[in-house]
Amino acid sequence: MISNKDHENTIVCRCEDITLKEIRDLIKEGFKTVDEIKRISRCGMGPCQGRTCRQIVMGEIARTTGKDVSELRLSTFRAPTKNIKIGILAEAAEG
Amino acid sequence: MHIKEHPILAFKRGRRVEFFFDGKKMWGYEGEPIAAALHANGVRVLRRSIKLNRPRGFYCAIGNCSSCLMKVNGEPNVRVCVERLEEGMVVGTQMAKGDLSRAKANPISSSGGGSGIRKTDIAVIGGGPAGLSAAISANQMGAKVTLLDRNSRIGGQLIKQTHMFFGSEKQYAFIRGIDIADILADKLDKEMTDVMLNATVLGYYREDGVLGVEENNRFTKIKPERIIVATGASEKVLAFPNNDLPGIYGAGAAQTLMNEHGVVPGNNVLMVGAGNIGLIVSYQLMQAGINVKAIIEAASKIGGYWVHASKVRRLGVPIYTSYTVKKADGRESLERVTIWQLDKNWQPLKGTEIDLNVDVMCIAVGLSPLAELLWQAGCQMKYIPELGGHTPLRGEDMQTTVKGIYVAGDVAGVEEASSAMVEGSLAGLCAAKSLGYDNGRFKELREEAINELMNLRSGPVSEGMRKGLEQLI
Amino acid sequence: MIEKTGVPTPQDLWKVFPPKERLEKGPVAIIECFQRIPCDPCYTACKKEAIQEFEDINDLPQIDFEICNGCGLCISRCPGLCIFIVDQTYSETGVLIKLPFEFLPLPEKGEEVDALNRKGEVVGKTKVVKVQNGRYEDKTPVISILVPKELSMEVRNIRLRKNND
Repeated sequence: MISNKDHENTIVCRCEDITLKEIRDLIKEGFKTVDEIKRISRCGMGPCQGRTCRQIVMGEIARTTGKDVSELRLSTFRAPTKNIKIGILAEAAEG
Repeated sequence: MHIKEHPILAFKRGRRVEFFFDGKKMWGYEGEPIAAALHANGVRVLRRSIKLNRPRGFYCAIGNCSSCLMKVNGEPNVRVCVERLEEGMVVGTQMAKGDLSRAKANPISSSGGGSGIRKTDIAVIGGGPAGLSAAISANQMGAKVTLLDRNSRIGGQLIKQTHMFFGSEKQYAFIRGIDIADILADKLDKEMTDVMLNATVLGYYREDGVLGVEENNRFTKIKPERIIVATGASEKVLAFPNNDLPGIYGAGAAQTLMNEHGVVPGNNVLMVGAGNIGLIVSYQLMQAGINVKAIIEAASKIGGYWVHASKVRRLGVPIYTSYTVKKADGRESLERVTIWQLDKNWQPLKGTEIDLNVDVMCIAVGLSPLAELLWQAGCQMKYIPELGGHTPLRGEDMQTTVKGIYVAGDVAGVEEASSAMVEGSLAGLCAAKSLGYDNGRFKELREEAINELMNLRSGPVSEGMRKGLEQLI
Repeated sequence: MIEKTGVPTPQDLWKVFPPKERLEKGPVAIIECFQRIPCDPCYTACKKEAIQEFEDINDLPQIDFEICNGCGLCISRCPGLCIFIVDQTYSETGVLIKLPFEFLPLPEKGEEVDALNRKGEVVGKTKVVKVQNGRYEDKTPVISILVPKELSMEVRNIRLRKNND
């Protein structure tokens, strides 16, 4: 197995720079839902909105808690689906 | 390096223009993505990550992953995998979260954004094989369609599929994906379908059924009577040390780079995953003159079609089953990958490590449905690994648990493009019918589509898919 | 084994090879398709109706070797590129193989190229007899090569030799 130390260089969330070691440590500390991990670490709150990291986080939680991924609760999905300039919204509001 | 000659493709390129990268003068083709132009100039490191200062390149190349944010003309956080190159552009490596202080303020134009709400019978979100088929069928029934696509052209991922498709004549078997994109675009009724390009649906608002859309840097709202979500899927990632090194790309991203933009991803490639995407992209890499050192697959068997596997084997590419990635290494970008063998319980075996000197690693470990809008709409979702992850429950007519919202293609469960097209047709027909449109052939066409889907999925290669779908319909 | 290696075993191949007597009679198509997948363009491509209609689109192709005249129209229509023509009667010295080849540069008529087996290993050299690359082939050119008889059921690909210039 690859040591947890080596996973300091395994990136789960590219947007917020969160490593697999950090995710595992958080789960160990008791953060056991996608939403809790998101709120404590910002994992999944970057510009890609969790598209890249979500499945790895779910897999880690399932593995540690012995649950099936299908039983896990996800966090809420909100607009916008991608990063957008404030100016574009402002323009729409003015118009 | 730009590809000069290709056995299948002829690249339509813009004129040669100069641009600047970190103060250095370079040239590229006008209109190609900035990331492609940089890659052709040997630049793979696009930014430094926000906390750990790690070098980063793109991963998905189609605007999903946001790994490629750069500073363009002073403005930070520009997704250079989709932003097009213009003459004289000043492109810079983005450090951390970027700095807005040097960005030019864009005055708010007095014309304003779209303050009015556009109305339409059916909004089809995504112009790939499923979405195009949906629009064509809905038009056929008599419904007006607004087709939204975030890219500057329709066709979705078909436009990089240089291989001949499987299926039967009805699903354009033996025609190449790139040509199918043209056929479908031609079939689209231009009077009945309003195509919105460079248009990303940012959100669906349940309260009033409105879609918030960014179109060409303008915000507009659309209120459709029915919605068909055909947003496709995004490439999964793998977790191993240094998995974010530039040079580690989604297999589809490498395909986009070489087949759509005509730029070689590198010299020596390790393909991770022997499903259809991994096998097909390996073959296409070889067609572009790139050496594929090996294909590895964590499962004990090849997941893709054997004919695809045989094709790459005849070229001398080895396939190692029961192997996975241990780690990647490289200073600024990928230089070496260590793979190792897995036992029956998927545990890595010490001492089986093999080092491969490659500058590109393609990850083809599956796709997951791009279902954000369905979640926002409150559609009931179920986690079905055989279909790529969380997938919407739906009826035989492709309608989700939210009335008026239909799905088709990979977002409804990751499958082949052939079934995506049939699902699209079915969704288009049924959404139109639910609004009272019928050209008299609804019943017949609906039945035909349902039968086609059944046939396509009846074989042994679709067993997992069938099991998955049983839980949804 | 093919599910692990991508290379058909002799046992797999025996199932799809024409009988020896048929091979000795002249050109014939060999469909090296071993997996039930949803695909049937070989049937629609065959003008002689030697490749039978599919009852189920997932069926393995069934070919009547007595009807097949080895015309090769199916080669560039197979999305799996798994159809080959073998003509053991072509000449005294060699067997003619027609195979699909989607790479650049294309070989030229008369060019000597490496003959590769199903693993991509060089098993000999061969001469290109013909290059078909017209509208019908639609970017899946069909290359005819001449190989010694003992290699006729082994050679399934070619590789161009590096130019010296």
